[in-house]
Amino acid sequence: MGNKQTTFTDEQLEAFQDCTFFTRKEILRLHGRYRELAPHLVPLDYTNNPDIRVPLALIVTMPELKENPFRDRIVQTFSEDGQGNLSFNDFVDMFSALCETSPRDLKTIYAFKIYDFNRDNFICKDDLQQTLNLLTKGELTEDEVLLVCDKALEEADLDGDSKLSFSDFQNMISKAPDFLSNFHIRI
Amino acid sequence: MSARDRTRAILDLPMSFEEKNGECFIFHHKTKCCIFSYDLYIKSARQTLELWQGIMKEIGGKFGSSVLSYFVFLKWLLMFNIFSFMVNFGFITIPLLVSDHSPNIPPNVSFRGLELLSGAGYFTYTVMYYGGYSNATVGQVYDMQLAYFFTIAVYMVLCGIALIFSMASSFRQNYVLADSVSNSAWQLLCSWDFSVTNERAVRQRRNNLRESLSEKAQEELLTLSEKLRHYGVHFGSWLLSTGLAVGCGASIYYLCQYEQKVHNQEAETLLVPFVVSLINLVIPLFYSLFNKFEHYSSQRQQIYALVVRSGNVFLRLVILAVLCYYWMNVVAEKFSCWESMVGQALYRLVIFDFLFLMLGSFFGEFLSNVIGTRLLTSLGVPEFDVARNVLDLIYTQTLAWIGIYFAPLLPAIQILKFFLLFYLKKVNACFQEFSTCCAIYQRSKFIPPRFVCLVLLCRLSPSEQCGPFQGLNNTFAVVEVWMTELEGPSHSHWTVWIYHNVIRSELFYFLVTLIIIVIIYIFWQVTKGRQELIRLLRQQIINEGKDKFFLLDKLQNLQKSHPNRNPKQKKQKEVCCDRVFFLC
Repeated sequence: MGNKQTTFTDEQLEAFQDCTFFTRKEILRLHGRYRELAPHLVPLDYTNNPDIRVPLALIVTMPELKENPFRDRIVQTFSEDGQGNLSFNDFVDMFSALCETSPRDLKTIYAFKIYDFNRDNFICKDDLQQTLNLLTKGELTEDEVLLVCDKALEEADLDGDSKLSFSDFQNMISKAPDFLSNFHIRI
Repeated sequence: MSARDRTRAILDLPMSFEEKNGECFIFHHKTKCCIFSYDLYIKSARQTLELWQGIMKEIGGKFGSSVLSYFVFLKWLLMFNIFSFMVNFGFITIPLLVSDHSPNIPPNVSFRGLELLSGAGYFTYTVMYYGGYSNATVGQVYDMQLAYFFTIAVYMVLCGIALIFSMASSFRQNYVLADSVSNSAWQLLCSWDFSVTNERAVRQRRNNLRESLSEKAQEELLTLSEKLRHYGVHFGSWLLSTGLAVGCGASIYYLCQYEQKVHNQEAETLLVPFVVSLINLVIPLFYSLFNKFEHYSSQRQQIYALVVRSGNVFLRLVILAVLCYYWMNVVAEKFSCWESMVGQALYRLVIFDFLFLMLGSFFGEFLSNVIGTRLLTSLGVPEFDVARNVLDLIYTQTLAWIGIYFAPLLPAIQILKFFLLFYLKKVNACFQEFSTCCAIYQRSKFIPPRFVCLVLLCRLSPSEQCGPFQGLNNTFAVVEVWMTELEGPSHSHWTVWIYHNVIRSELFYFLVTLIIIVIIYIFWQVTKGRQELIRLLRQQIINEGKDKFFLLDKLQNLQKSHPNRNPKQKKQKEVCCDRVFFLC
């Protein structure tokens, strides 16, 4: 095998291949992309697992995330500190959870975390309003925003506590056939 | 659990990479992961053999899944036409070519370039059309009549089955989707396509979403007079689009009649297909223009769906209906070898449709792209309307399906057409934005007209002098003749028995219909029962939620009213509270 790369040891690549949905080539390509974001910060040699984190501001300049209205929330969800600073492992985790072969349940869990802005394990009305504002770039009027969020809560909330728990969210996703293809970032 | 299952289970966990790595490491050095690499190898080998696999991935990545669905549909149609061409060529054309090498062309007809467009002249006497096939028995074994009949019949049945299956599967999807497309929660949380990276596309999707949400919100806040005004606008648009379609249909009919009266030269036969293709190109543009200028109504999206989509479908159905009616009533009476004439007319329609598609793509899309981006940026870039392009594909394929009885080698042209169209649309899509309404196929709309046409055509009597069914009263008589032949020798009595007692007896069809009705009734009752079950379960969830709040309240009251003397008791109460939280 042509193992001429010195970025990772073989064990590291095996570990990545086992624990993510990527192959060795894709991991190496991802490392290249990660390094492009901050070449002075990220070393070429990752064999001794350096503890480097690329800040949020640099990660959202990636072309795959730049135009996405939820880019900040996505990066924050996968970061360990919750502020959006990703290590390489977090970076790989993020794209692995959002890739094509990732299963529906995993994507549902992460989608719920992304839409839960205040991180209280419920999607409350405030979270929905923030989602709507991100999606429409604040171009709807106040009344329209409230109306849409009310309707959304009414339709999806099953247990009547005026917020969406994870099971409500899961139930709604199970009825959406194109969720898998929509919740997918190609890298 | 096998190593593979275990790895899969770990991959499915929502843990970070470091945590998963710990789990993996325990058994990693015990197993070889070559199982996965073997799978990947087979997968990549299969992928390189499939046509256009790499290009499809590229398109899906750049433009999203709705545009990809158009190209997937195009590829499916291409494969279908390749299959039908091979079937027809193999079973019908090759035996004829083998038996009779030289077509019997009259001496004064030679090949001129015009035949490629008009399909008449030299081509009339070749195997392209119905008239070129004889009713002889090749080599005393292969009956051309039966071969022609059964090839076309089996092909049609396969088409029908494939369409019904795809209709059933898309209906199942759309039934769920239709329930949730009007659903605000779905639109808010599931509809955004994360894989779109093109800035213009994102902006357009945002606008679409904003418009549709705003429309829905405003609908709630309407007064009665405004509602009436909205219905009026809807009705007016529907009237306009229907009136236009009917007008076009009538004009095509009169044009056909006029062409009949002055039928002298071959070049004049090109007039009708030219006008049909022109109408199919211009009127949809007119519909979209009408939609663009319709600023005063806040219901742009709904009217778009009504006028543009249904209007286009209705227009093409009307034109096809008028043409079929004309062919059946006028052409069948007048000409001696009328099937070949109909075949030629369909050939011309297919060719002109192809030319106009190419010209439309070039002038309509490519040039206006160049103008829109370089010269007059205010015009903006035209849209790659997925629904309209899918409709174009369905229309051309319907023409081919109707024509396969009259011109068995028509799929060859379709193959060429779809092949070129793929590359043309791919180049164009690079420059365009695209509309993001859901690409719900409307294949089902074209099934009834096609079958009705065919059934009616088969009831007409075949022409006397040409084609494989000469001299018979109608097409089905072929099977009757064959059955009477089979009654003679002692074997194959079972075939004759099946024919008389199953296919020709009304009792059989009555029984089958009865069974189908009973099955439908059973499924309907099951569905109703399940809906009732869902309603009851939902009510139960709400009740459980209320119970939970009630119990928590009681617990908290209990805690407040009994101040704790014993720290152990206090801890027990806390554990109890936590458990209640956990269980709910």
